[in-house]
Amino acid sequence: MSEKTKGIFFDGESAIPKAIDIVFDNEKDVLVFETENNQQHFWDLDEVSFRIKSKNMYLEYGNDPIQNIKISDSDFVNKIYDFKKERGNLSWYHKLMDMGIKAHILFTVFIFAIIGLGYFFAIPWVAEKAVVIIPEDYDSHLGTTFFEQNMLFSNVDAEKTKALNLFAKELNLKNTKKLKFTVVDSPIVNAFALPDGNIVVFSGILNTMKNYDELVGLIGHEVAHVNHRHSMKMVCRNLSGYIFVSAILGDANGIMATIGDNVNNLQSLSYSRSFEHEADLEGFEIVVLNKINPKGMSNLFRRLQNEEVVAIPEFLSSHPVTTERIKDINELIKTKPFRFEDNLKLKKLFFVLKK
Amino acid sequence: MEEAVQTSTNYQLEFNGKGSEFFSVIIVNWLLTILTLGFYYPWAKARKLQFLYGETSLNGDSFSFHGTGKEMFRGFVKAILIIGFLYSLFFLFLYLKSPFLGIGILYLGILALLPFAIHGSYRYRMSRTSWRGIRFGYRGDRKEFSINFFKWLFFTIISFGIYSPWMSINMRKYLLGNIRFGDVEFNSEGDGGDYFMLMFKGYLVTVFTFGIYLFWWQKDLFEYYINNLSMSKGDKEIALNSTVTGGGFFKLAIVNLLIIIGTLGIGYAWVVTRTMKYIFENIEMEGNIDLNSLLQTEENYKDATGEDISDFLDMDFVM
Repeated sequence: MSEKTKGIFFDGESAIPKAIDIVFDNEKDVLVFETENNQQHFWDLDEVSFRIKSKNMYLEYGNDPIQNIKISDSDFVNKIYDFKKERGNLSWYHKLMDMGIKAHILFTVFIFAIIGLGYFFAIPWVAEKAVVIIPEDYDSHLGTTFFEQNMLFSNVDAEKTKALNLFAKELNLKNTKKLKFTVVDSPIVNAFALPDGNIVVFSGILNTMKNYDELVGLIGHEVAHVNHRHSMKMVCRNLSGYIFVSAILGDANGIMATIGDNVNNLQSLSYSRSFEHEADLEGFEIVVLNKINPKGMSNLFRRLQNEEVVAIPEFLSSHPVTTERIKDINELIKTKPFRFEDNLKLKKLFFVLKK
Repeated sequence: MEEAVQTSTNYQLEFNGKGSEFFSVIIVNWLLTILTLGFYYPWAKARKLQFLYGETSLNGDSFSFHGTGKEMFRGFVKAILIIGFLYSLFFLFLYLKSPFLGIGILYLGILALLPFAIHGSYRYRMSRTSWRGIRFGYRGDRKEFSINFFKWLFFTIISFGIYSPWMSINMRKYLLGNIRFGDVEFNSEGDGGDYFMLMFKGYLVTVFTFGIYLFWWQKDLFEYYINNLSMSKGDKEIALNSTVTGGGFFKLAIVNLLIIIGTLGIGYAWVVTRTMKYIFENIEMEGNIDLNSLLQTEENYKDATGEDISDFLDMDFVM
C-alpha cells in the first residue's frame, strides 16, 4: 500500500519552505519525495521521528542538519499514526497518552490514592522505624535542653519537688529511664513529660486534685509518654510528613504546598491523640500494678474537663481531656480486674504536696 | 516541483496548546515518574518541554524542543555529583566540628555554580530549540559571563542591593544579546536607572494600593522586557512590542487562582496553557526580516548539566 499527500519541506540549511508531494510506501518502509533539480529523497521510516505539534505532523530526519517535513493533511497523519501503532513502534509514553482523557482522570485518582496511602501508612511506618535507629541519648539531649531553657523562668517549689520525687519512688512505674519530677509553682492546670525523663507538674493541677490516686493516674500517664518515646515519634512523624508533602506538592505549586502543610498539621494532632490514648492505657496498667484505685484517673479527667471552660473542637485541641477519654477509662475500670488498698505513705506525701 | 509558499514580513506568534492536552502530558509524566520511583523525571521534563515548545508557533510553524530524557538524565547525574560533592564537604566540616566553615563552603560553592548553571542552561536550551529546522543558539562566553556575574554581584552587595536592578538589566543584555536564531541576532536594550525607577515606583504604589497595583506593575515590567527586545539580521530588524494590560494580568491571575483552588491543584495544566496563550497573544512583532531567509548557523550542544543544576537550584528560565 502506498499513500500520497502534500507537505512542506525544510532542508535544515535555510528556513525556505518548499512544497513537495510525498509518497508513503509502507511495504518498502520508505518515504519518497522530490525536491528541486529532480533530486530524489528516500527516508527510511525507522529513522524518521514523527511528532504532532499544534495539530500538524512534523517528520524529522537526520541529525545535522535535521530535515523537516510538515504535513497538515489530517487523514494522512492518522494513517501514519495507525501504521506506527500496528508496528508496535509507539513508546510507553505514547501508548499511555493514547488512552484518552477518561483513563487520564483515572490515573489522577490512582496517583492521589498512592500519595494518600503513602502519607497515611508508609510515612508513620517509616517514622516508627526511624525512631528505633535514633539513639536514646538524643532524646535525653533534646529533653535536657528544653528543660534547662524552660526552668530558667519558672518558679520551682523545692519542698514539693522533693515530696513528689519521694511519691514517685514508692511506685513501680515500669520505667527504663531515670525519672526526675519537678513541681513548678504556677496556676496552670497541666503537666508534661520530656523525652529525657524530666516530668514537670504545675501546682495548679495538684491543687485541683482531691485524692492521691488521682496523682498516681497523672504520673502513670506522663511516664507512659516517656516509656514509649512519644516526643521523638512525634518529631519523626511531623518531619517525615513535612518532607513528603514538600517533595510531592512543593513542585506542583505554592497553594498546593500550603494546603498540604495544613493537612499535615491536622494529621499530627491526630497522631498526638493516638499517643494520648496509648498513654492512658499504660497509665491505667501502672495504677493497677501499684494497687491504687483507677477511679482516681477517671475523677482527675472529669475535674480537668470542667477546668476547660472554652469548648474547643476535638481535632483542634492538642491535649484534650475529652468525654471520649473518660469513657475509655471507665470502660477499662468496668472490664479489667483490679485490687486496691490504702497506701498511707502516699497519702502522707500527697498531703505535703497539697499544702 | 518547487515554489515559495510564503515570503512575508508579517509575523504571528501563537500558543495553541489546550489545557486538557497538557493535563494528559502532566498526568502520564506523574504516573511514569511514580512507577519508576523518580527515575523518569528527566524524560518527563523533556516531554513537557516538547509539548510546550511544539504548541508554540511562529507564522503557523511550530517550534521544536529536541532535548531528550537521555541527555537530561546524564546532566542530572552530573548535577547530583557536583551538588552531592558540595554537600559532602559540608558534612565533612560539620563532622570536624567547624560548621561555619562548612556552611561557608556550601554557600560559596553554590554561588560559584550559578553562572555556570545559567550559561549551561542557555547553551543547552537554545541549541535544542528550532523552528523550521533552524536552530537557536547562545554565543555567550562562560569565562566572560562568570567574571561579569561576580563583578555585578560584588557591586550589588557593597551597595546593599541598590545595584540589583542594574545587575538584572546587565544580565539580560548579556544573555539575551548572545542569543542567535539562525543568522538572526537578538538584542536586549534597557537601562538600570529606568529599571530601578520602575521597581521603586511599582513597589511603593503596590504597598499604598494594598497590592492591587501589583498587576499593573507586572504589566510595566513585562512591557519593559519585551519592548526592549529586538532581532536583527544585517541592516534588517524586527522589533517586539507588548500589548498586555494590567487589567488583563489581573483577570488572568484571579481566574488562575480560582482554578487552582477550585480543583485542588489539578487544574494546574489549564493555568499554564491560559498563561502561555495570554502572553504569546500579546507579543507583537514588526519589522522587515524575511523569515524565509534564515540560515542554519548554530551548532549542536547536548550537555544538559547546567540545565539540570538550574533545575536543582529552582531557577527559572528567562526565555
